[in-house]
Amino acid sequence: MLTTVMTKTFRDRWKGEAIGVLTLVLLFLMGMSVYRDIDLAVYTDLPEVFRSLVNIPADADVGALAYGAIYTSYGALTLASLALSMGSASIAGEERDGTMGLLLGNPKSRTHILVSKAVNVVLLTGLGTLVLWAGGILVPQILNVDITGIFVGALVLHMFFIAVFHGFLALAISAWTGKARLATGATVAVMVLSFFAVGWLPLIEGLENGVKAFPWYYFSGSQPHVNGVSWGHLGVLLGGIVVFAVVALAGVNRRDLRDRTTGTGLVDRLRTHPLTKKAIDRLAGSARVSRIWTKTASEHQGLLIIVSYVMFLIMGVLLGPMYTFIDDTIASIGDAFPEGMMELFGGGDLTTPEGWYQIETFGLMAPIAFMLVTVTIGSRAMAGEEANRTMGLLLANPIKRSTVVLEKTFAMVIYALIVGFALFAGVALGSILGGLGMSPGRIAAATTLGMLLGLVFGALSLAISAATGRSRIAIFGTIGVALVFFVADGFLPLSDSLAGLAKWTPVYYYLGSDPLNNGMDWGHGAVLLGLFAILVAAATWLFDHRDLRQSA
Amino acid sequence: MTIAIHTEGLTKHYGDVEALMNLDLDIHSGEVFGFLGPNGAGKTTTIRTILDEIRPTAGKASILGMDTHLQSVEIRDHIGYVPGDLAMYPNLTGKDTLTYFANLRGGVDWDYVEQLRERLGADLDKRVGDLSSGNRQKVGLIQAFMNKPEVLIMDEPSAGLDPLVQREFQKMMREVAADGRTVFLSSHTLSEVQRVADRVGIIRQGRLIAVEGVADLRSKAIRTVNLYFDGPVDGNVFKPLPGVRDVKVDNHHVMLSFDGQMETLLKVVTERFHVLDITTQEADLEEIFLTYYEEVSA
Repeated sequence: MLTTVMTKTFRDRWKGEAIGVLTLVLLFLMGMSVYRDIDLAVYTDLPEVFRSLVNIPADADVGALAYGAIYTSYGALTLASLALSMGSASIAGEERDGTMGLLLGNPKSRTHILVSKAVNVVLLTGLGTLVLWAGGILVPQILNVDITGIFVGALVLHMFFIAVFHGFLALAISAWTGKARLATGATVAVMVLSFFAVGWLPLIEGLENGVKAFPWYYFSGSQPHVNGVSWGHLGVLLGGIVVFAVVALAGVNRRDLRDRTTGTGLVDRLRTHPLTKKAIDRLAGSARVSRIWTKTASEHQGLLIIVSYVMFLIMGVLLGPMYTFIDDTIASIGDAFPEGMMELFGGGDLTTPEGWYQIETFGLMAPIAFMLVTVTIGSRAMAGEEANRTMGLLLANPIKRSTVVLEKTFAMVIYALIVGFALFAGVALGSILGGLGMSPGRIAAATTLGMLLGLVFGALSLAISAATGRSRIAIFGTIGVALVFFVADGFLPLSDSLAGLAKWTPVYYYLGSDPLNNGMDWGHGAVLLGLFAILVAAATWLFDHRDLRQSA
Repeated sequence: MTIAIHTEGLTKHYGDVEALMNLDLDIHSGEVFGFLGPNGAGKTTTIRTILDEIRPTAGKASILGMDTHLQSVEIRDHIGYVPGDLAMYPNLTGKDTLTYFANLRGGVDWDYVEQLRERLGADLDKRVGDLSSGNRQKVGLIQAFMNKPEVLIMDEPSAGLDPLVQREFQKMMREVAADGRTVFLSSHTLSEVQRVADRVGIIRQGRLIAVEGVADLRSKAIRTVNLYFDGPVDGNVFKPLPGVRDVKVDNHHVMLSFDGQMETLLKVVTERFHVLDITTQEADLEEIFLTYYEEVSA
């Protein structure tokens, strides 16, 4: 039984893991070949603060840079994301699909099932780690890059532990609550927050030690790729893994199993509360089912609220005053920043508030925030209804298939606008609170371009969803494409001969014109808008010309 | 008599799998048409094709004279649909679900919805995800009936319903037909089809085997005749009679299968022997159904 459940889970999951790690190895190949081509002299004067932020060791060379940029950021995040998606789907996923009862109809305990799932998280993450290790060894040989002094084994071992740590955290929440979405959301929040905390906190005087409260520190804090394995740090992660395993074991055995129901949304809770029932009933009851787009928009309110909140408060408002705390440190660095290096992180210049916001907020977080909402809606748009077997019922009404696509797209645009507004308001307010004097118009320009980029990727996931009817392909396909574009946009400009190619990635049209300093580039906006329109048109056509899927 | 649903050489392949082969079918307005077949016979494929959920590999279909692909949106103004293995939005209440579809349709008579709710005993205040499968099915049925569609297309609609509700639902289907509207009922619950359908189509391995009136089908059917005599009889007397098969003699009792004229049989029997009792058992649809399958697979 242990092996039976495990084998099935393995079969369901290995493709995602394989695609994820192979993409990473390819990115690593690309990254290292770009680094090999550029003049490394620009790194000799790298300022300390900057290094801490982007996790590059003082004696950086081609190898260290490539491992640092690809493996310790994208690589670890991807490996951990794969593990946490397995962890959260483990128990709660079976409950959501209504298959948990079926499994337990066999003479095996809940503990057995949990253990099979947990072993699977470890096993698949381990295999993924092995592939990354092999890639990390082979790529430098292929490219003839000397990696003496780089501890590839130590690095991937740390990656394995941080990934399993997040996998088990998700597993614990999933087993304890039976809510897969909650497990994913909470674990992603922990991961992202701790990833950024490890970048920020060392910059702020007095708070340097706070970084030890975040799990990510025990992955990258010791810089395993240059310093080797830190057994103490791995011990901390292992401790967490053991605690989560115990919580998961206790959790799955303590509660009633859920039966194929989905989680209760905020509106549902307000609707059952006597104080708010009447008002919400009128609003939600009739408003949310009035149109396809209102219903779609009501389905992901929780995500929208969290993303908007984070972008407004943390990535927007808080960063303004924070800039003034670390302003002095940064100012002393002066012009020491190698220009090429900054390209990697959105091309910001830390000596100006615009550069600060560009690196911290707009470079990576803003596109991720926009993509979170647009890709969630886009990938689920058609494929979600097909997986839930409601598309047939929906299309039995006198509406065109294109109407379904366009209304769902409209919900996506509304979500992007709300996140965009939260981001704009947050950064504008942060600038006022910190007395940074940034131009609201230029903040709006950067936000608009970011929103358009998010919509391009959302429309891509919509098109894949429309073509295949499978939301998983839409999600992973879009993330894969986005990852390649983002890394290409960061790396290609570093090499003179390849710089021109960057214009072929949509990401270039987001920050390529430096909108925080130069204002809106309407041409770039038009390129993104055009791409969005083409992808939505493609989605409409594709959905109109295929058979609906009957079930998941 | 007008044609409500018409298919012409309708064919659907999934790769190498022939899910539906050359389906020619006419379903008349004002009838309940039972669509029978074992699992995987092509019933759902037929329904999904005429609803434009999937596109035929060859052939075409029309509903109320409109092409199922080119005029699919217009058609859906006039149909009600209950998909097989019904699923709905678990987060919405029954009422919300109906409101959603009512909004998409553009207006529904809520008094009528209330009548339907009462007849089926549906709970519209609970979230669909919290309902049992039978109660969820009731919401699905109301959804299909509520706009008084001209054509009702239903795939295994009585799944999960208790017998009392099933009976009410069958009454509702008969009312639709009496109203001059049409019911296309895919099922393998034979007793239900027998009770409500005017005609049945039997499909097997993607091919339509027969379309018959339920009454015709029955009259053609072989019945089992039991004859009880006051003394031992010779079975060979019965064997040459037209329509007689499988004669079994057990002393005073003869059991035979018969699909000829009852009068001929009675004449021979009463002329030669002294009959104490006769019972005949009419074949039900199930036997007919099985006979069809056996014939085709033989």
